[in-house]
Formats: sequence, C-alpha cells, structure tokens
Amino acid sequence: MGDLLYTSVFIAVVSLALFWMAAFTLWWQMHAWRTPEVLASTRFDRPDGEGRLAFSLLLPARHEQAVLEHTIDRLLESSHTDYEIIVIVGHDDPGTTAVAERAAARRPARVRVVVDHHEQKNKPKALNTALPSCRGDIVGVFDAEDQVHPELLAHVDHAFRSTGADVVQGGVQLINFHSSWYSLRNCLEYFFWFRSRLHLHAEKGFIPLGGNTVFVRTEVLREAGGWDQDCLAEDCDLGVRLSSVGKKVVVAYDSDMVTREETPGSLVSLLKQRTRWNQGFLQVYRKKDWQQLPGRGQRWLARYTLMTPFMQAASGVIIPLNFAVAVFLDVPVGVAIITFLPLVTAMVTFVFEIVGLHDFGRQYGLRVRFVHYVKLVVGGPFYQVMLAGAAIRAVWREQRGQVEWELTSHTGAHLTSTAMPEATSEAASTSASASASASTAIREDSRR
Amino acid sequence: MTATLPTATDPQPGTRTAPARRTPPGGRPGAGPPAPARPLVRFRSSRPDLLLCGALLLVTVLVQGWNITDFPTLSDDEGTYLAQAWAVQQGDGLAHYTYWYDHPPLGWIQLAGLTYLPSLFLPDSMTVASMRCAMLAVSAASSVLMYVLARRLWLPRWAAGLAMALFGLSPLSVVLQREIFLDNLAVMWMLLAFCLAASPNRHLWHHFGSGLAAATAVLTKETMLVVLPALLVTMWRHSHRDTRKFAVTGAITACVLIGLSYPLYALLNGELLPGSGHVSLIDGITYQMGREGSGFILTPGSGSNGVLRSWLYYDTVLPLGGLAGAVLLLATFLPRALGFARAGGTPMSVTARALAGPALAAAILAVVAMRPTGYLPAMYVIQALPFLALVLAGGAAAVTHAVLRRGRGPGERRPRVWARWALLAVLAASAAVYVLPRWYEGNRTALTVDANAPYRQAAAWLGSEVADPANTRVLLDDALWLDAVHHGFEPGLGAIWFYKADLDPAVTRTLPRGWQDIDYVVSSPTVRRDAVNLPNVRAALEHSAVVAVFGSGEDRIEIRRTDRPAPGDAGAPAAPADRPSGS
Repeated sequence: MGDLLYTSVFIAVVSLALFWMAAFTLWWQMHAWRTPEVLASTRFDRPDGEGRLAFSLLLPARHEQAVLEHTIDRLLESSHTDYEIIVIVGHDDPGTTAVAERAAARRPARVRVVVDHHEQKNKPKALNTALPSCRGDIVGVFDAEDQVHPELLAHVDHAFRSTGADVVQGGVQLINFHSSWYSLRNCLEYFFWFRSRLHLHAEKGFIPLGGNTVFVRTEVLREAGGWDQDCLAEDCDLGVRLSSVGKKVVVAYDSDMVTREETPGSLVSLLKQRTRWNQGFLQVYRKKDWQQLPGRGQRWLARYTLMTPFMQAASGVIIPLNFAVAVFLDVPVGVAIITFLPLVTAMVTFVFEIVGLHDFGRQYGLRVRFVHYVKLVVGGPFYQVMLAGAAIRAVWREQRGQVEWELTSHTGAHLTSTAMPEATSEAASTSASASASASTAIREDSRR
Repeated sequence: MTATLPTATDPQPGTRTAPARRTPPGGRPGAGPPAPARPLVRFRSSRPDLLLCGALLLVTVLVQGWNITDFPTLSDDEGTYLAQAWAVQQGDGLAHYTYWYDHPPLGWIQLAGLTYLPSLFLPDSMTVASMRCAMLAVSAASSVLMYVLARRLWLPRWAAGLAMALFGLSPLSVVLQREIFLDNLAVMWMLLAFCLAASPNRHLWHHFGSGLAAATAVLTKETMLVVLPALLVTMWRHSHRDTRKFAVTGAITACVLIGLSYPLYALLNGELLPGSGHVSLIDGITYQMGREGSGFILTPGSGSNGVLRSWLYYDTVLPLGGLAGAVLLLATFLPRALGFARAGGTPMSVTARALAGPALAAAILAVVAMRPTGYLPAMYVIQALPFLALVLAGGAAAVTHAVLRRGRGPGERRPRVWARWALLAVLAASAAVYVLPRWYEGNRTALTVDANAPYRQAAAWLGSEVADPANTRVLLDDALWLDAVHHGFEPGLGAIWFYKADLDPAVTRTLPRGWQDIDYVVSSPTVRRDAVNLPNVRAALEHSAVVAVFGSGEDRIEIRRTDRPAPGDAGAPAAPADRPSGS
C-alpha cells in the first residue's frame, strides 16, 4: 500500500514536471502566432529608401569552390550601395582561394580575400581573423552556400537605424523538406525557431544567435572581443554574451528574405551537427555569461534554453516510461490521468507542427503533400530518438573533454574511440570536395 | 534590453485599437481581417460598462436569490446531482450508487467543489433547497459572461445590458437557473468559451482556452456537444486570417483532447466497452441515445409538447422571439457566408455577422429539440437561453439602428429625426407593454410562492417521527434523499433512491423479499409517476398505508408505512457483505 502511494506520488510529480516543461516549450514555440499583432511585429519593416550604413560581409569558405562563386555573385546583386564582401579562406585550401581571388579580381572594390593561417581551423577563428580588416559599420556573417536575398541589406540597414539595435538577426530557413523524413522535421525546427521562438528571446532579452544572417555593429563586436574560438556554438555564445551585457538584439523574419539553406546530407551528419550544437550549448551554459542577466526570469529562460536539448532527451525517455508505468502498474485512476498530461502536450505540439508545416508550405510556395504530414507524425518519435542520442553524445563528449572537432580529427589518426570515424565521415559529408582533408572542417552543417 | 522590430501597431496589450494592418508576406497586399465595425471594448477599464453590468448583476442576483429555496418545486434531478456531489465530497467515488456513465461526472464534481465550503461549516445545509444558493454564484458568473460576450460581439452597451437582462430576468430563466441542473454549469462554461473565442486580443491561447472551456462544458452536460459548431463559427469570424489556422486548430485540439479524458477514464477503469457484470460508457451512451422519445414537440399531447408548454407558460418572448430572431439572422447571414449574395453593408449585416454564432447555436438547439424520436428533458431549454437572449438583444439593436440611421443623409431635417425617435419610442413602449406585465407576474410568483412546504414537512417528519433511522429502510425520491441522510438514515441502502430498488442490482440484492424489506415509502409526485414501471416500488405503494400527508392534490407528499410484520427485524437492513463497494 505504502509502495503504491510512493509510486503514485512519484509518477504524479514526474508527470507534472514534464507537463510544465512541455507546456512552456510549446508556449514559447508558438510565440509569433499569439496574436496577429505579434505576428506582424516579427517581420522586417519596409526600408525608408537609401541605406546609410556600411556593411562588411564575412564569408568563411572551406573547400567550397563549387558553391562559393554563386554565393558571391548573389551577394553582389544586393540593392544596397555600401558594402564589402570579405571571403575568408584557409592557407591550405588552394581551390577555394582561387575562386575567391577570381571574384576579388573581378570586383576589387567589393570583394576582398583574407587568408586564415591557423593550423587548426574553425569558423570562429576564421571570423576573428577577418574582424580587424572590416571597414564597415556593421559586420554580417554568411555561410559559403547561403542564398541571400538582394533586398536583405537594405532591410537590415533600416532595422539598425529605426530600432537602435546592436545586433540584427535575420531569418535562416532550411528548405528541402521533401528530401527525407528527418529533413522534413529539421526544416520545421528551423521554421519554428526563426519564425517564432527567437522573437520571444529577443523580447525577453536573452538570445542565442544563429550562425549566419547575423549582423552586429562593428564596434560592439570588437568590444566583445569577437567570437569565442574555443566554443563549439560560437554563434549562440556571441548572442548570450551580447544580450547578457544588455546589448539590444532585434530579430526579423520575412519568408521572402530569409537565407535559404539545406539540411545535412545524412542522418549521421545531422546527428553530429546536433551533437556539436548541444555540446556548444553546454559550453555556453558552463561559461556562465548568462548569469549577468539582470532579471531572474531572464536567467531562468537562459538556464532552460541552454539545457533544453538535455531535458528534451530526458523527456523522450521518461514520457513513454511514465506512460507504461501508469498503464501497467495498478495506480489510482486519478494518477493515471495525470500521467497522460505530458502526452497531451506532446499531442498539442504535434498538431501545431502539422499546422506549422502547412504554413511553411504556404509561406514558401512549396507543395506539401499528404505523405509529408504522415512523415511528420510518424517520424516524430524517431526524430526524438535522434535528438536524445545527440544530447547523450554531447554530454559524453563534453565529459571526456572532446571539445574540438579539430582536436579529435588531428589526433584521430591513432584513436580508436568513436571520435575518429565520425570526424572523418563528417568532413567528407560536409565538404563539397571529395578530396577534402578530414582534419579541418569548419562546418559540418550543410552539404550541397 | 532587446526587442523585436517595432511595427505600425503597438504590441502592448491593452492599448491596441485596430487590428494588425501591415502588408502580409507573399504578395497578399490589402488582405485584412473582417474589420470590426465598432471599436473594441476594454471591459475592465470602461466605467459605464462596469456600472451597467454591476447594476444588472445586482438585480439578477436579487430576483433569482429571493425565495430561491421555496420556488420552484424541488426536482428529482437536483437531488440526484447534489447527492452525487455529496458522494464526491465524502470520498465515495462519483456516486453513492454505482456510477453507470449516465452523464459525464464533471458537472457534479464541480458542484462538489462549489458546495464544499458551506457543507464543511454547515454539514446539514447539504440539501437541495439550501444548496440552490450555490447556483446563484453560477448564474451570476453566467450573467457577467453574457454581458462581456455581448460586448465582444459588438453589441452597443444598452443592447448588451438588454441581453443580460433577458438572460437573467426572464421568468423562465429565473425558474430554471435557480435549480441545481448541470445545464446551468455547462452554460457558464460555454459562455466562457464563446467569450474567449470572441476575444478582442485574438490571442492564440485565448482560443486554446476557449477549446478547453468548451470541452469542460461538454463534460459537464454532454448535450452541449451540438453547440460546438456555433462556437467554431464564432471563433472563425473573430480570428485573424494570418493566425487563424493556428488558433482554430489549437482550440479544436484542446477540446478534443480534454473531451477524450472521459473515455480514457472509462478505459482505465475497464468500463469502456460493455461486458457482463460491470457498467460501461458504451452502455451509458446507448441508454441515453435510446431513451424513449417524448414525441414531436408540436404534436399536442406528446411529452415534448408538454415540456414546450411548460416553458411557454413562464415566458414566450425569449424562446419564441429569440428563435424567430435567430432564423431571421441566419437567413440574412447564410447567403452571404455561402457567397450567394453580393457583399454589402446593410445595417442588418453587421449584427448578423457578429451574431452568426449565437444564432446558429439557437437554431441547432431548436432543430435538435424538433427530432420526433428524441427525448426532450425539461431543462433542455437552459442551454439555449443565452443564445436566444443574445439574438433577441442583437435584433433589437439592429432594429434600432435601422430606425435611426437607415437612409439618413448628412443634413437630415429636424422633424425627420424626431419622427425616427418617436417611432423608436413607440416600438420600445409597445415591447415593454407586452413584456413587462407578463414578466412581473412570472417573477412575482417566483419571489413569493412557497412550493416546497410539503417537502420540508416530509423531511422534518422523517427526522422526528422515525424511531431508529439507522435501521430503517425508506424509499424516497432523490430530492429528499440528502435530508434523510442528514437525519441518520443510512445512505444508499437505508435511504434508497426509489428506482434503485428495481434498477440497481446491488440494491435489489438487499431486498430479497421485495416490499417486505422496506419500512417506509415517501410518495412524492415523481414516485407515483414512475412507480408504474417499477414492480418493487409499486408493490411497496400497494402494501402500505399513509401515516402522514403534506400538501394536497397532485403535488401532495405522503409518507406511507409498509404492512410488513415487524419493522426493524429480519434482515433489514442487509448485511454489510451485501453492500456495493462504490465505484
């Protein structure tokens, strides 16, 4: 009898905790659609004519000669008048360097090339290398395969001036939802994150920034000491550091002005990408910059957001377990009903994801078929497993001190642990070039 | 320190006056919401609204509260629900007899909460008559929600007041809202759902909450299910096209998920599907759906017709006038909504569009009541009252608008303006002359007549004249049951709901010798009416003699002692082993 009581209380407490967690996440995820006014406020304002700020656009490229030219050409189509493009290439990457130099020769006034001489390369190092040579008022970051809208700079310019922002984060959107079941979910994650959740973070004054289409005032960036070269999620870290000292961050999302990207080419590379992000979040959490946030609510939001991947992993395991316990153990009906609460929020989330997919299709003029909705629902639990796996891997790696891709790759030659094969396969999958060395992947995020 | 981009509209709640009007993405310029025709109302910060609503609330509570214990006659159903609420309070499960899924239990669970405090301090007050006061709180809440809803549906202030008055002061409302009916609770939740659906913020979570409230209404009284389409229409019309798909889907999801908790409860108890030896949800639904029809509502002499007459006896304006208004509104609204008529702005259309939801609700409820094979309970009309009142008030607003504004140019001459006002005054006066005397008469009855003296006397008799209540078994109707329990009769098998003697195997088992195991029968009109189909009860009535009579004529209450040899011995009451263990 006593056992049953303890079991019941335990199950009820766990269920309620999970319920509140899921409910809060859902609440935040749906932020942009709260009211029509909030939705309207998430968009860019129409620019008021001429741009007045000078932009330095950083374009780190590593083994990306296949796509770099197109990306630069597209950036050169920008309607803004005052900007420079700084392509950052590695000293050991002649292919990409050649493409970059060619572009610079064609448009010397617009395009410059900076060579990164770091032995072990990563994206924050590349960005920091270029920071001293930025001449503009605003530093913008793009990835080598990004498709950037020509009107974007004008809108960002206006946003900086009309809001007095220190940072403007534009939207990034994965588009290829039809590629596979996980890319569907991945696209939708981006959709909910950039379309909705980030705006909440901006409003609350705590924001993990995205990796590209992010614009920072040059002096603010220099004051902050650039990017953290040792952090696996340097983008998130920058946002956390800047917002923690009270810098104003503005987020804007327009479906026709987002930077379009593609999902990682395989489930394994997605898993690795997610592992890196999770580990990065963990690092940011442990750096404790967020503790300077003035508001208690902000600090809780920070704590919660940075720990989300791990709670997500935990809940992915606990929800079914809890459910099974409630059904198969003979607990009182009232308690059993409580155990269904997390499931209820999960179902509400599912429904909103379906609606979100529909809205995504509408916004981007993409045809979402019935089978995609089926994939979305059926793939949900499996995606959850992948997320849980990534979270566990991240904790594992962080515990083992495997904090750098470079480190693992370089020393990987004689390592037999899990780190070695993943580093190689990852670089292979991310790089457009088949001959890419496994040692120095800047990003494993995408693949053409 | 950080913020999203500022926009044309101020995102601060409470200061907004216009809907979002920015150019939507994807080249849909000019696509806006159906523009509200009148400024949005901030109820809480509007002093005239608060004053009007407060004054009307006071009057409503006074009229409904005065003499609430003595009129109308205690109903069997009130006794049932309150007794089950009492069982919940006692921790006996959902009923003191086996809960058999006759209705979802949420209604009397709420009732248990509502009466918890009074019954804690005054345990003896847990009887039907005194606990009607709890319904006063429900009715007050519904009245306020009614006013808020009317304003959110863009009725002018006076029309919102009219709707609230119609809803709270019609003699039909006064009589029915005083009684402990689940329908009253369900109406409160449904009104809340409508208020949230018509929220001027058009907030996602308000719409979500609307779905939750609607599900609560349905779980309180399952017949509210038929009103849901009207709620959906209201929500659709009041949401913004950019956020609508999330809002409406969210609301439906919320409603369905909460609604599913009832079958889930049955499933967890192993009582979802029929089986031998236990009750089940399916059985319960089958019983309710298969209840013997009470005939077509317009066929003279049918049961439904009798119910209709009883409603019209108290008030004709609200049921008939409201229904006529609803039909008229739908007639103007539907062609437009379906795209048959050209778009345009006649004065009627504003009201018609705003009141499409309530009008639809009233119409659906009317159609359901017209089913010739259906069973029409007397409290059915309660669910329709708010919608009828809204439609009627909206109709009055539309007529007023038409009289004062139709065809009016900028520089209209003074005599013409006066003529308009004079016409309006005549219309208002004739309506008042028609309505007020009837309502005065109806409400005077409600405020003065004592219809429950026989019940009180019978309850007192049971308390004073029965020597050993703990070992005495009495059949009585549900309205008196709690009184008997307070007087020391054993709940369930000592004080027995009369029909359980025949219908509940757990009770019948304790009456092996039929009427001879029963000491008393309290014969109220309900008992006499239903005894025809209940052999044990009939036998007990036949083999008993009157020992006390209270009241006279049809409504009299007799206390009859059975002719059993020696009351109190020979296995009465039954051994504890025979007790049902509760549900």
